[in-house]
Amino acid sequence: MIRVKNVRKVYPNGFVALDGIDLHISRNEFVYLVGQSGAGKSTLLNMLYKAETPTSGDIYIDNISLSGLAPKQVPYLRRSIGVIFQDYKLLPRRTVYENVAFALRVMHFSRFRIRRQVAQVLELVGLQQKMHNYPSELSGGEQQRICIARAIVNNPPVLLADEPTGSLDPDTSWEIMQLLSKINARQTTVIVATHNKAIVDDIRKRVVAVENGRIIRDEQLGLYNP
Amino acid sequence: MIRDFLFFTSEALISIRRSGIMMIISIATITVSLIVFGIFLLISANISNLTNYFSSKLEIRVYLKDSTKQDEIDALKLRFEAMPAVRKVEFIEKAAAWAEFKKNYPKIELSTLVSDNPLPNAFRIGLSDSAKITSIATHLKGFEAVEDVGDMGAIADRITAFSRYTRIAGIILVSLLTFATLLIIVNTIRLTVIARQDEITIMQLVGATISFIRWPFIIEGLLIGIIGGVFAIVFLVFGYSFFVMRFQENIPFFPLVYDHMTLNLIYLGILLVGTSLGIFGAYLSVSRTVKNNY
Ligand SMILES: Nc1ncnc2c1ncn2[C@@H]1O[C@H](COP(=O)(O)OP(=O)(O)OP(=O)(O)O)[C@@H](O)[C@H]1O
Ligand SMILES: [Mg+2]
Repeated sequence: MIRVKNVRKVYPNGFVALDGIDLHISRNEFVYLVGQSGAGKSTLLNMLYKAETPTSGDIYIDNISLSGLAPKQVPYLRRSIGVIFQDYKLLPRRTVYENVAFALRVMHFSRFRIRRQVAQVLELVGLQQKMHNYPSELSGGEQQRICIARAIVNNPPVLLADEPTGSLDPDTSWEIMQLLSKINARQTTVIVATHNKAIVDDIRKRVVAVENGRIIRDEQLGLYNP
Repeated sequence: MIRDFLFFTSEALISIRRSGIMMIISIATITVSLIVFGIFLLISANISNLTNYFSSKLEIRVYLKDSTKQDEIDALKLRFEAMPAVRKVEFIEKAAAWAEFKKNYPKIELSTLVSDNPLPNAFRIGLSDSAKITSIATHLKGFEAVEDVGDMGAIADRITAFSRYTRIAGIILVSLLTFATLLIIVNTIRLTVIARQDEITIMQLVGATISFIRWPFIIEGLLIGIIGGVFAIVFLVFGYSFFVMRFQENIPFFPLVYDHMTLNLIYLGILLVGTSLGIFGAYLSVSRTVKNNY
């Protein structure tokens, strides 16, 4: 379903973030993307929903070439890919509820469905009590959970999680990863970029390791370190 | 659709409230531009009204040679009537003209000066287009039976030239104003777009189309245009009726435009120009300011 073919990414400042990346991820797979800070994990994820474009090579999602995708089509691609951003990307002037709801509004959901699905997902991530707070009134971990709620609220077939446990305590991290496993179990392809060794080694899945912009290891039921 | 519209409108209102003083300046500028625009429309409506008024009073007198016979006169009348821009042709028999003259100037002892009727047979020709008066007069002079032609060509030419120049000056002025207003709207909206750039980027990342992003700004532009238009119209309605009142106290018979039909059309025009400028300005602004994240 996701096919990355010989992708190279050079940032405008000349930095080569990725080079010779080949990767194939099947439908409903669960993949950890591991590697040191600066390895290129976020860059790779960002290219999957066309927030970044490869300098050369191409990415196919459901056999659709992203480089050939018209700008008009990009929003529809993004609606099918939920993203948990490393830096959350929340709207500071909107409440928790609004932050999640506006993702559905963008997709023209009915008011009724918006209310129902937002309530459900906020309960899922345990934020229903803080629904009317603003992001600045919440802790880092709570903000991260808003971001998770927004990413999954429309049940997208693909979920990209960039450090979803970055600012969570071990227990909450564990809960969130259980949640991602649960989402994966209901027909969602999940890719998680993470530094969380404990979790990778505990909830065993496919591991893709990136180092200096190259894939150096790809194994089923792998460990954080070889 | 209505759901989206309500959402976009509330977004637009929030944005207008947030931009505060800038929005007030912007609305004020649009109001002033539209007032000037309206003043121009009122002036040109009055000029064209005035031109028509004078044109309807303009006429050509065609004096015929005494030797012209009645059947020739009848034939000439038909030919004149068939000419373009001729509204009506009236024959004035020399005896009738003489009687009229004597009636108009009873104090002059004509019989002591001239014994016989000195006036010729004549046609009085009214025109529908005063601009053509000179060319038609010249044409009429060429007829065999025509002794002389009296026209008001010089006055007509002056009226025509005057209305043409005011129209050209008005069009230039209005174009400049329109352009300036557009620039101001584009820049006002641009500021609100920049203020929300982060938000817009996030919306784009979660799948918003460019038109979804554009709509609140379009509505914002539309509201600015409507508000500016309404202010301008209120000003013009009161200003113009005051002007008409004052003017007619001093020059009662001057033909000013004050029928509701024409005035309402002008005010409607101002509102339309205001709203189109608002919408178009917002559209331009979003297209040129929002970062392309697709
Ligand atoms: N916009 C950019 N312009 C230039 N260089 C960039 C840009 N974004 C990222 N980089 C560089 O590309 C490299 C890979 O960045 P990336 O964000 O993909 O790393 P990462 O693996 O996600 O790291 P982390 O685990 O810290 O999130 C880094 O060295 C970074 O400095
Ligand atoms: Mg990263």
